[in-house]
Amino acid sequence: MLPTPIIIALLVGIAVVVLGFFGAGTLTAHTVGRLVLLVAVVALPLLLSAGNLSYGIHQSSTTRFCLSCHEMQRHGKSLFADDKQALAAAHYQNRLVDRETVCYACHKDYALFGDVTAKLNGLRHVWAHYVSGPPAKLALYRPYPNSNCLHCHDDSRRFVEAAPHRPLLAALYAGSTSCLSCHRVAHDMAKVDADQLWQAR
Amino acid sequence: MRDGREAMTARVRRAARVTGLGLLVQLGAAVHWTPATFIAAAAFGTPLVLAGAGLFLAAVWRNIKAKGAV
Repeated sequence: MLPTPIIIALLVGIAVVVLGFFGAGTLTAHTVGRLVLLVAVVALPLLLSAGNLSYGIHQSSTTRFCLSCHEMQRHGKSLFADDKQALAAAHYQNRLVDRETVCYACHKDYALFGDVTAKLNGLRHVWAHYVSGPPAKLALYRPYPNSNCLHCHDDSRRFVEAAPHRPLLAALYAGSTSCLSCHRVAHDMAKVDADQLWQAR
Repeated sequence: MRDGREAMTARVRRAARVTGLGLLVQLGAAVHWTPATFIAAAAFGTPLVLAGAGLFLAAVWRNIKAKGAV
């Protein structure tokens, strides 16, 4: 359920529209009444819809939303895998990304239409969840792009000065060498299946 | 035959029905929040509200035209 203020706002909006519906006969007779109808039937509902849609889009980027489909729950569990090298676990456990939006932080593109692409892919996920069924093995739609890693690591000192990175920097920036060619484990499913998990006390 | 104000009232009520339906869809999604209901709210609820707003503005436009104000 969305937060109570949103529910209340929508209920108020519906009540105002209902009042407009039953009061239309009287309100259309006066200029002020017509303005009231404009607010009741057009302005307020549009404002509420925009707010609701905006909040919904924000919510759809949260970790909780991604993991609300059972297909993703093993991946969610991999955030707690006891493996300091696994990318998802390392980023989550060390708070390198906001835990509230951890899936979205790493799996959306950061270009101009990154959010749009992510949301369209989300529609494909929902279609797979409800209609076509998920594939036997979950996989990315395309190879993981370095640009998603570099969005954060780009010029960070720890990344640039790391000895293994130095000879590869140009290739990493160009995307000709994948970050994942060395950082091979993104989600440590073996640890998940073995129930070897880590959580701060 | 209905006079101009009755026709205007009927059109406004039709717009209010469509808008109200859109808000109801959004309310339903907000109460039972899942990926599917979010998409239903975005794909049906919001367009219904937009359609209701369009119907209202069309009703106003027809009323203005009928009065010869434009």
